[in-house]
Formats: sequence, C-alpha cells, structure tokens
Amino acid sequence: MEQVLSSISNYLGLLFILLCLGLILFYFFSDGNRPKISLRNIQAFRHVRREVDLAVEAGKRLHISLGRGSITDLQGGAAFIGLTILDRSARAASNSDRPPMTTSGDGVLTILSQDTLQSTYRSLGTEQRYDPTNAHMTGLSPLAYAAGAMPTIHDEYVSANFFTGHLGTEIALLTEAGERSRSLTVAGSDSIHAQAVLYVTSDEPLLGEELYAAGAYLGAGPAHLASLRTQDILRWVLIGAIVIGAILKLFRILN
Amino acid sequence: MKKILPTSNAIIAVISGLLVLLGYFFPGVFGNIQSILIGWSIILAAFALLLGIFNLAFVHWKKTKAGGAGGINSIVLLVSLGITIILVSLSGPTGALSLWIFNSFQVPVEISLLAVLAVVLVYAAARLLTRRPKWYTVLFLVTVLIVLLGSVPLFFLGEVAPLVALRGWLAQVPAVAGARGLLLGVALGTVATGIRILMGVDRPYGG
Repeated sequence: MEQVLSSISNYLGLLFILLCLGLILFYFFSDGNRPKISLRNIQAFRHVRREVDLAVEAGKRLHISLGRGSITDLQGGAAFIGLTILDRSARAASNSDRPPMTTSGDGVLTILSQDTLQSTYRSLGTEQRYDPTNAHMTGLSPLAYAAGAMPTIHDEYVSANFFTGHLGTEIALLTEAGERSRSLTVAGSDSIHAQAVLYVTSDEPLLGEELYAAGAYLGAGPAHLASLRTQDILRWVLIGAIVIGAILKLFRILN
Repeated sequence: MKKILPTSNAIIAVISGLLVLLGYFFPGVFGNIQSILIGWSIILAAFALLLGIFNLAFVHWKKTKAGGAGGINSIVLLVSLGITIILVSLSGPTGALSLWIFNSFQVPVEISLLAVLAVVLVYAAARLLTRRPKWYTVLFLVTVLIVLLGSVPLFFLGEVAPLVALRGWLAQVPAVAGARGLLLGVALGTVATGIRILMGVDRPYGG
C-alpha cells in the first residue's frame, strides 16, 4: 500500500489538476442546460453590484487594488481575481463619467490591469475612453504600495474600494483610508495575515475561498460558475480525506 | 489583425503555461523548456517594472500639471525619483549613496508607517464592537486579549502560567486549524483560477 502511495505521490499534483480540469469541463458543459444555479448569499458581492450602480449615478469612481503579488508565483492567483473584478466593474460602469481606477505594486500587474481595461473598452466599442493612467503602480515594497495607494482613495472621488490581491497587514492602512473617505471597502486576500486584519478593519471581508468566487457572483461567465462548483466539491472531498485520515491515525492504522 | 492578435496571444499564453506546468511533473522531458520560459518571464517582468516606474512618473507628472492640493506631493515624488535614479546610477545598487538613501529615507518612513499601522489596528479592534455587535466579535476580542496577556510578562505578576498555557493552546490548536482551513480554500481557488487561464477562459492579457 505504501509503495503504491509513494509511487503515485510524485504525480499526485498532476492527478489533482486533471481532476479539477475534468470537473470544470463537466460542469461547464452540463450546466449550460440548466436555467439558473443558486449561489450562497455573500453580502460583499451584493454590495459590489450595488456600489457599481451607485458610483455611476453619483459620478464617482471605483478603486480596485490588485496588491503586490507577482504573477510568476502563487500570489498571482488572487491578483487574477482582481483583474476579473476590474473587467466586470469597467463593463458595468462603462457609461460613468469616471472610469474605475486600479493600483498595484508590481510592474506586470500594472501592465495586465492596463490591458484588461483596454480590452474591456475595446469589446464595448468605447476604446477612446481608455486612459493608461487609470491603472498605475504606486510602490514596490508593502508599505510603499500602501502609502502610494492612499492618496488615490482620498483624492480620486472614490465611492468604493475593492482590495483583491496579495497584500499583507499593510492593508489596514488602506481600509482605514477607505473608512476615513467614507467609501465602502470590500476586501479579500490570499494572505492569512491580511485576512486576520481584514476581519477587523473591512466593511465586507472576503475570507478563504470567498475571494475566488468573485467571477461567479459578478457574472463573469459559465466557466466561473463551473470552477466554483468544482471548488465546492473538492472542498468536501478534502474535508472527508482529513476526517478519514484523522480516524485512521487515531486507530493507529496510519502512522 | 485585431481579431488575430487576441487569438494568437491566447494560444501563446496557454501553450507556455502548459509547458511550464508539465515541467514540474516531468522535469526530464520539459525541464529545459520550462527553465527557458521562466527565464524569459523574469526578463519581461524586469522590463514591466521599468514601464511601471515610467507609468508612475507620468501619472504624477499629469497631477503636477493639473495643480490642485496633491500637486506638491507629486513634485516631491518626481524630484525624489530623479535624485534616486541619478545617485543609484552613480554609486551602484549597494554603493554608499544608495545605502544612505535607503537608511536615511526609506527605513525611517517605513518604520513610521508600521507605527501608524499598530495604532490603526488597535483603533479598528476597538471599533469592531460597534461595527459588528455580535457574540463572535466579543469572542474574537477576548481571544486577542488572552493572547496578548499571555505573550508578555504582566506588571507585578510576571508571567501568569495558566495564561501562557492558554495562549499556547489557542495559537497551536484552534488558530492553526482555522488557518489551514482558510489556506485550503485559497489553494483550491488558486488551482481553479490557474486552470481557467490554462483553458483560455480568463485572458488578462488583452486576449
């Protein structure tokens, strides 16, 4: 048994990825026939949709912070969710006087956010509205990034801030700036330290996997719904595996 | 041309992503190509950093031209950026002038911000009861208090053994269990996000 386990352990990661891919593809094609899939109520996303509408009406803008995670490592995953939120927000606020603004602490993320804004406006046929300075880098170290992003929250007529990326405890400075400028803050991060801080400082913290559900909740397409269902199933599989492992260890079947 | 470019971008991104992923599982077959692609990505990231700095300078140049309340801050940033570039170019990244800039400006400013951060966190914790007046908020604040009291010697009492033991249990059992649960959720979300990009569904590169 142990020999079999050790021989497949090298390829366990690949098997897990293939399982994820299979489930996403299965739900992607099978959910197309379903009229509507009900999602658990996450208040933060309800507020995101409402704030986008209110920002358009009030002539204010949305600020999306992508954090400072590099896309060449694990931290990039959360930033990609920020780009999805940026795309959805830019579409929803396409007729607003003040388009959404993004800040990031990494050069690649800055370029990707500019690209996302440009391709969104292009697909809406309003490319003339694209302004590269609406997506900018504010600093490279954690505190420099926070210090650079705070004036954007204060000075740019921001009605809501979405912090979605890799950020550390410095996120408290940003959420505090949002609180002082009386704008809503919805925030999620892949960092445990940031999540602990967000629980205390944010109006609407997104904890754990909630951040990664953003695409599904904001209507980014059937692939996002399929991947959300895959995450839900795999989470239960992992919970089952952990409980079974604990029981086997309790009865000394596993060392 | 406008239709071909996004498709070709997507094809290049998906193939590159797949090759790098396969390099992790089959290093003998795909290891070389993985190293080459990662090397290219590092070079591109360095150029992206330069573009990011130009973008930052341009944003503040526009703010300076527009005037207004924040204009003076933008001028300070542009002047500081220019001086830093000149001095670091002259003395090298670990030269005396570069280290002087780092130790005299960057370190004190960041330490000051850390001090502000500590105050912000205490203030936010105190405000939490009015923001979310629920039983779990009280539980959270009581736990924070126990952990703080168990972490430092108290006036006249020194280290209180039961508090230290309780702090150790809180930090090693419920906190680790919760953190692992959150990290599992984050890991699943990251894998799903990566797969969507490999499928070409999410295209954050103008595709």
